[in-house]
Amino acid sequence: MISLILRRGALSLATLFLLASFIFFATEVLPGDALDVSLSADEVAMMPPEVLARRKAELGLDRPILERYLGFLGGLLKFDLGRTIITRAPVADIVAMPLRNSMALAAVTLLLALPVALGIAMAAAQAKGRGLDNAVSGAAIIGYSIPEFVTGLLLIAVFAVWWPIFPATITASTDDPLSVLLAAAPLAVITTIIGSIAYLGRILRVGMIEVMASDFVERLHLSGIPRWRILLVHALPAAVIPGLSAAALYAASLVSGIVVVEMVFAYPGIGAELVRAVTRREVHVVQAIALAAAICVVSFNLLADLGISALDPRTRNA
Amino acid sequence: MNITRRGLAGLALTPLAAGAQTATPRRGGTIIVAQCSANRFVASAQTARHPYFTVDLTTRIPYNALVWVDREMRLQPELATSWAPASADQSVWDITLRPGVRFHDGTPLRAEDVVASYELHRQRNFASGQIQKIEAMADGRVRFTLDAGNSEFPYVLAEYQNMIMPAAPVETIGNTGIGTGPFRFASTDPNRIAVYERNPAYWREGFPYLDRIELHNREGQQETALAGLRSGQFDVVMTIDPRSVRGLQRDADLVVDNGGGGHHYVIQLPKHPGSPFEDKRVRQALALGVDREAIVRLVYGEGNGWVGNDSHLVAADLNFLALPRIPRAEAVARARALLAAAGHPNGINLGTLYWSPQSPEVGRYFQVLQETAREAGLTMALEQRPADGYVQFRTGDNDFSKGSFHRFAMTAVGPRNPGISLFRMRGAFVESGHWRGPEHDAYMALYAQAMREGDAAARRDMFHRMQRILHEEVPALLPAGTMTFSVRRRHVQGFEFHPQIWSVRFDEVWRS
Repeated sequence: MISLILRRGALSLATLFLLASFIFFATEVLPGDALDVSLSADEVAMMPPEVLARRKAELGLDRPILERYLGFLGGLLKFDLGRTIITRAPVADIVAMPLRNSMALAAVTLLLALPVALGIAMAAAQAKGRGLDNAVSGAAIIGYSIPEFVTGLLLIAVFAVWWPIFPATITASTDDPLSVLLAAAPLAVITTIIGSIAYLGRILRVGMIEVMASDFVERLHLSGIPRWRILLVHALPAAVIPGLSAAALYAASLVSGIVVVEMVFAYPGIGAELVRAVTRREVHVVQAIALAAAICVVSFNLLADLGISALDPRTRNA
Repeated sequence: MNITRRGLAGLALTPLAAGAQTATPRRGGTIIVAQCSANRFVASAQTARHPYFTVDLTTRIPYNALVWVDREMRLQPELATSWAPASADQSVWDITLRPGVRFHDGTPLRAEDVVASYELHRQRNFASGQIQKIEAMADGRVRFTLDAGNSEFPYVLAEYQNMIMPAAPVETIGNTGIGTGPFRFASTDPNRIAVYERNPAYWREGFPYLDRIELHNREGQQETALAGLRSGQFDVVMTIDPRSVRGLQRDADLVVDNGGGGHHYVIQLPKHPGSPFEDKRVRQALALGVDREAIVRLVYGEGNGWVGNDSHLVAADLNFLALPRIPRAEAVARARALLAAAGHPNGINLGTLYWSPQSPEVGRYFQVLQETAREAGLTMALEQRPADGYVQFRTGDNDFSKGSFHRFAMTAVGPRNPGISLFRMRGAFVESGHWRGPEHDAYMALYAQAMREGDAAARRDMFHRMQRILHEEVPALLPAGTMTFSVRRRHVQGFEFHPQIWSVRFDEVWRS
C-alpha cells in the first residue's frame, strides 16, 4: 500500500508540474494585459504612448515570457504565488478566503447531498424498472439538465421575492465566519445540492443495480441474511466503488468553483474571484486559482484511487 | 466657511439644490446600495480603501476632490472654494482651499495634503500627467504649474481618482482610507463591500443625513442586484442597463432615476491608403445613412438615450451642439447621392465593423446601425472581438508606411468635459482614424486657442465651431448614446443620479 501511495503521489506531482506549465502558457500568451484592461478608453485616449510603455515596464509586463516562466516556477517551489500586477498585493491573500468559502460550500453540499443521493439510489435500485425508479430517474435527469443559473433564479423568484423567507443575494463578507456566510447562503446551497443529488444519485443508482444483480448478493440472499443488512453492509460498499472516481472528480469541481452559482448569488468564492481576475487580466491570480483547481482534481483523484484500493484489494497491483 | 445646500454651488444653482425635497429630511438610518458598474482593479486588504481601488466610482462617499462637476457638467466648488489662472496662457492655476475642513481623523486639511495627493495623481491619473509642479503657497493656496495652457484644468481637479488624502509618501498615501467626505470607512471587503458611517465633522454643516451606507459591488450581476432590491435587501441599485428601465418603471415600489447623458461609442473610420473612408463623401454618407433616432428608440428606448453629433461630447454637456434633424427619407436620399458622387451609385461595401462587448447593449446597437446604414446603400459585416487585446487590435500605427493599419472599429466614450473629449479627435490619435488635412489643422488650432481662452463664452463658441467642423468632415462616427440609470426604493429620498457616475453624491440622501 505504501509503494502504491508513493507511486501515485509521484505521478500526481508530475501531473501538477505539467498542468502548472500549461496554465502559465495558456494565460500568458493571450493578447492584452492587466494595464490595458485597467484603463478606460478615455484614459487610453489621454495617455501618451511613451507613458503607457513606461507603465508597462514598471509593472514588468514587458519582460520576456521565458523569464516570467522561470520566475513563476521558482515562485511555486517557494510556495510563492506572486503578486497582483496593478496593486502588487500578495496573490495568496486574494485567493485564500474565497478558496476557503468554496471549500465550505462544496463540503456542505457533499455532506447533505451524498446521504440523500445514496438513499435515493438504493430506493431506486430496489424498485428497478418500477414507478419509484422511473420517477427518481426522471427527476434526476431533469435536476441534472436544468442549468444552475435557472434553478438559482427560480429559487430567488420564489423564495426571496414572492415569498421572502430567504435572502436573494449574499451580503456577507468574504472573511465572515463560515457559519455566518453559509447561513446567508441557503439558496446557493440548495441550488448546488439539487444538481449534486441528481448527478450523484444517477451514478450511485447504476452501481447499486449492478451489485444487486451480482452473484455474491444472490448468494447472500440464499444464506438468509436480512435484506437491509445485504443492502447496507455488503452491497453499498461494493456499489460505491465504481462511482468513487466520478464522485471525486465531481467534488473537485465543486471546490474549484461553482462559478455560475457564485455569480448568481454573489457568493464570495473562488469561482467569482476567477471571473474577476480573468476580466482584469490579473494573470497571477488566474494562475493561482487554476493551479488550486488542478491540485483539487489531482488530490481528489488520488484519494479516490487510494480509496478504491482500500475497498477493493484486487486493484492494488493495477 | 460652512456652506449651505445652496452655497455648495457657489457659481450656480446645483442639481443638489434643484432636487430639493418637499418633505423635511429625516436624520439617521442606513441605506444599502448595490453598484453594477465594473470595478477597474483587483484590490487587496491593503488597498481596498484607497480612492483608486475602493468599490468603483463611489469615491465621493469617503473622499472629496477639489472640484465637483454637476449634472449639467458645470464646475462646482468642493474642497476648493475658488480657482483662477495665474498666468495669461492658463498654464499656472491657483487654488484656494476651503477653510475649516478636517479629515476623518480630526487633522485639518492643509495645502501640503493637496500637494502630496497630487504627487500621486500626476504620476497615476490619466488626466493629471500635464501637471509639472504643485506648490503650497505661503497664504495657504496651492499652485499648479502645467506643461501647457489648459483653460479647462479645473475639470481635472474633479476627476474620479483625484481625491484629497492626508499627506504621506506616494507609495502609501490613501491606504488608510482617511478623507474629508461625508462618510468614513467602517469596514471593507476588497472588491466586494464597503461600509461607511457618518462623518460627524463633515464640512457641510448639517450633512449627511444618513448614519450609515453599505455599498455592495454587483459588477456583472445586475439580475442579482435587482432581485435584492425587490426583496428589500438593497435600497438602491446604481448603473443599470437602460433596457431594464421600462420593466422597473412599472413597479410601484421603485423609482428609476435618469442621470442624464451617459456613455456612447466612437466608430473610428480608417483613412489609410485604400480605405473607403479616405473619401469624405463616403464618411458623410455614413453619417447621414445611420438612423440615430432608430438606435435610441430600439436600443435604449424612447427618452433613455440621446442623438450624438459625431463629436466625443455628450448631449448633457452645455457645450454640446445638436445636429440639425433631417427627415429620414431626405437623409437616405442625400446619403445615396453622396455615394453616387463618390463613384458608388449602387452602394458600397465598407468591410467589417469590429466591436467588443464593452456594455450589455453593444451587440444590439451595432445591429441597428448596420441595418439602417444598409437602407442608404452602405453595407458592412459585423464581428465581435474579445476584450482581451482589443486595444491593440483596433489600434494601428500612426505611420501608414509601416502597414500596421488601425481598424473600422468601435470603443466606448465616457461623459467628460470638452478639454478631454474634443482632444480625442486629434489626428495623432487612432479614434479620429488618423484624420489629416487643413480641416484637421483648423480643428486643432481652435482647440489650442480654446485651451488658452479664459472666457467661458468665447471658449464655448470655439467648441461649437470645432463641432461644426466635425459635422462637415466626419473623421469618426458617434451616432448615439445612453443615459445613466439607477433604481431605488421609494423610501430613499434626496438621491440624484449623474451623467458621470463617479460624481454621484450621498450628502443629501435620507430615508423617509
